[in-house]
Amino acid sequence: MRGSIRALGRLAGGLYLLLLYLFVMGPLLFVIATSFNPATSFPSRFEGFTLSWYAAILERPEFLAATGTSALVAALAAALAVLVAFLAAYALSRQGGAGGRGAMATLLASPLLVPQVVVSLAILQLASSFGIGTGFWGLVAAHAVYVMPFALRLILTGFARFDFAVEEASRSLGGGPLATWREVTLPLLRPSLVAGFTFCFILSFVNLPLSLFLTGPETATLPIVMFAYIESRIDPMIAAVASLIVLAAATATLLLDRFLRVRLVD
Amino acid sequence: MNAARTLHWLLLLPSLLLLALLLGLPLAAMLARSLEPNVLLSFTGPALDNYAYLLSRAYYLQVIWRTLRLAAETMLIAIPLGYAAAMLLQGLSGRAGNLAIMGLTFPILAGPLTVVLGWMALLADGGPFLGPLVEAGLIARPRLLGSEAGVVISLVQFVLPFAVLTLYTGLRQIQPPMHEAARSLGAGALSRFWHVTLPLSLPSVLSAGIITFSLAASSFISPHYLGGAGQLTLTTLVSQFIMATFNAELAAAAAGLLLLLMLGSVVALTAAIGRFIRP
Repeated sequence: MRGSIRALGRLAGGLYLLLLYLFVMGPLLFVIATSFNPATSFPSRFEGFTLSWYAAILERPEFLAATGTSALVAALAAALAVLVAFLAAYALSRQGGAGGRGAMATLLASPLLVPQVVVSLAILQLASSFGIGTGFWGLVAAHAVYVMPFALRLILTGFARFDFAVEEASRSLGGGPLATWREVTLPLLRPSLVAGFTFCFILSFVNLPLSLFLTGPETATLPIVMFAYIESRIDPMIAAVASLIVLAAATATLLLDRFLRVRLVD
Repeated sequence: MNAARTLHWLLLLPSLLLLALLLGLPLAAMLARSLEPNVLLSFTGPALDNYAYLLSRAYYLQVIWRTLRLAAETMLIAIPLGYAAAMLLQGLSGRAGNLAIMGLTFPILAGPLTVVLGWMALLADGGPFLGPLVEAGLIARPRLLGSEAGVVISLVQFVLPFAVLTLYTGLRQIQPPMHEAARSLGAGALSRFWHVTLPLSLPSVLSAGIITFSLAASSFISPHYLGGAGQLTLTTLVSQFIMATFNAELAAAAAGLLLLLMLGSVVALTAAIGRFIRP
């Protein structure tokens, strides 16, 4: 009797998790399915299987150009974020638990609590108060400040498993401070640095609100071009673009898990 | 010792500069702009007239109230759903547990624009879920697109992974000996949950509450696509001021109000839940 109640409880728990994951993943799975549907309206009944929506992307040069812009912005923002986050994480980790470490980490995470639309507006208005346009670097600035806390979080997790005694050992063997960083510290932290870069790159690449007020015809990012496209019409081609982004994100997620064993949750 | 302290601050300098120059300074410029006269309101700035204007019109008060209501509803639905999931996920271990956690980060990495595209199709009256039900005469046309319910559904889905990840980490930090001690003293499962697990997990409930409320209040894509012009929130109002009515000063004031309301909500939430957290 007791055993069957427990089995029933486990079944209910499993069912609950299944439904929850279906709810969280459902919209993405539906977008992917739609991208293979030959029907021209969205949403619509499934009428077969086609790859023509993927081929249609190639006929729209603005999507290809925007993919390049997004990749460049994401790479620069992620590189800047990882660089400053690494230096900060080094300082905070070496300090140990003492002396306001928690307060400093909270301060450095503060961009997370500012709405991204507000970050975009604020950078626009700072530039306009100097009478200049925001241009490409305004875009990079907004993305960098927003993704930095994610890099910091991942790199701090990496430092939690780093023993600063190995630096002492390197120095006592005659290694200078720079040689110690190059030969000892950076290699040991490489997994979390690569993970931080990848994570920041993706977050920047898929982000719409940060770019909302900061792009022009020359600097439109992929989400901005998608945004403009959806304003005028919705067809399965946009689902095909979205599916490619999902595919890229999924690949990156699996690579991080498999090769770097980096966890968001420790 | 002094050299070490100098090095410490030198290492922190780049990130602090990034924050000051790319967030602090822009926000200051924005708040300064919010105090200036504009095409709609003429006064001698700097003054609070833009804020007074937004807070005196029923239409804008409705937008403010809707923003707070959506965020609160999202938080109140996502926290219990996420708490139950986080408890159940504790039972998984090894490969299955890792995969389950990894799976939760996947919609975050795919991006809200992609996800909301899916919701636009799923919530449409003729969509794959509602379409057949409507045709069979089982339900009236629900019109979820353009309604508050549709926005809440997509916001809950958007914040749920953040809630589960936060609560999962918090629940894992509760020491198993605590449960053992309670069990050996004869406490039943419900009583163990009520007197041990729940009180000890309150700090992570507070974190999850702050995260879900802030994410929902600052979301742009869900209210824009699923709520539309009839369901403006402060973020979509800001974009309307910039892109449709070209009023930078009112946009800045609306953004300033959003920041203030979010700050106030975080303080209120911390006070409300903090009372029950034992030091």
